[in-house]
Amino acid sequence: MTARLDPLIHPITRLSICGLLAAGADWVEFAALRDAAGISDSVLSKQSRVLEDAGYMEVRKGAVGRRPRTWFRLTAEGRQALQGHLAWLAQLEEAVSASVPDAPQAATRPADRAQPRPVLPPLLGNS
Amino acid sequence: MDDVARDPAALDLLQRQRDRLADRMRPPRWFLAGTAIGYALVFAGPFATRYLSQGYYWAIAAATVPVSLLLLWGLDRTTGMKVGPRPLRVLRDGLFYYRPGRSALIAMLVVSLATNLAENSLIRRGQIAAAVTVAVFAVVVEVALVQARLRGIRQALREGGGAA
Repeated sequence: MTARLDPLIHPITRLSICGLLAAGADWVEFAALRDAAGISDSVLSKQSRVLEDAGYMEVRKGAVGRRPRTWFRLTAEGRQALQGHLAWLAQLEEAVSASVPDAPQAATRPADRAQPRPVLPPLLGNS
Repeated sequence: MDDVARDPAALDLLQRQRDRLADRMRPPRWFLAGTAIGYALVFAGPFATRYLSQGYYWAIAAATVPVSLLLLWGLDRTTGMKVGPRPLRVLRDGLFYYRPGRSALIAMLVVSLATNLAENSLIRRGQIAAAVTVAVFAVVVEVALVQARLRGIRQALREGGGAA
């Protein structure tokens, strides 16, 4: 895997969508993805179409009764692109940390996390 | 572009979003109750073979399949996620492909097998009360193991450990 910036995944909304889909679930439902990413229905629809057109995401539409249900899954290509992009972001993080040694790391950390945790390996998963 | 991930804080944001996604993977009460009913049906098997006709036994055995499928379908709908080994993935990737919660899954199978053997042995010796006690205890243990398995899946979702 090579660390490289992927312009398609780089916008934070698409990075969130891909990152959530790569977390380990096989398929993720529209509402679950929308709530976890904290975005609106229309934003998710629009961004998922971009990712689907690029071949990064697979979409399955169905219905339970009269309620439509949409499920998303990351394709192998999308997963690979995400891994490369996350590696690139991690390299960027290292570079920023190295250039600002006295930067208060805890400032960007959520309050509920007592201990800093390594970001890159868990996010990349174990594939 | 305001929405572009310009700095590594994007990784931290992604981690928080994964925490939110993992929080959805909590079993509702009906799922745990249904799981208990499903295992009660499974552990009723040895009693059914001893005290009921062959037809009743198979009726009970067949009832466990739709109960299990209904529970999985309901959990998928409630959590909005499909996790774990699924038939197509098992065919494609091998039986033990999905790692999170695997130890709990193996423990569930071992407990099922051990309970079945213990029940049969006790029923043969006429110790019905002891066999019922074993079955009830096993149902409680199985429900606890299902919860442990889902806890493992939640942890994997947080860390991306179940990523394919």
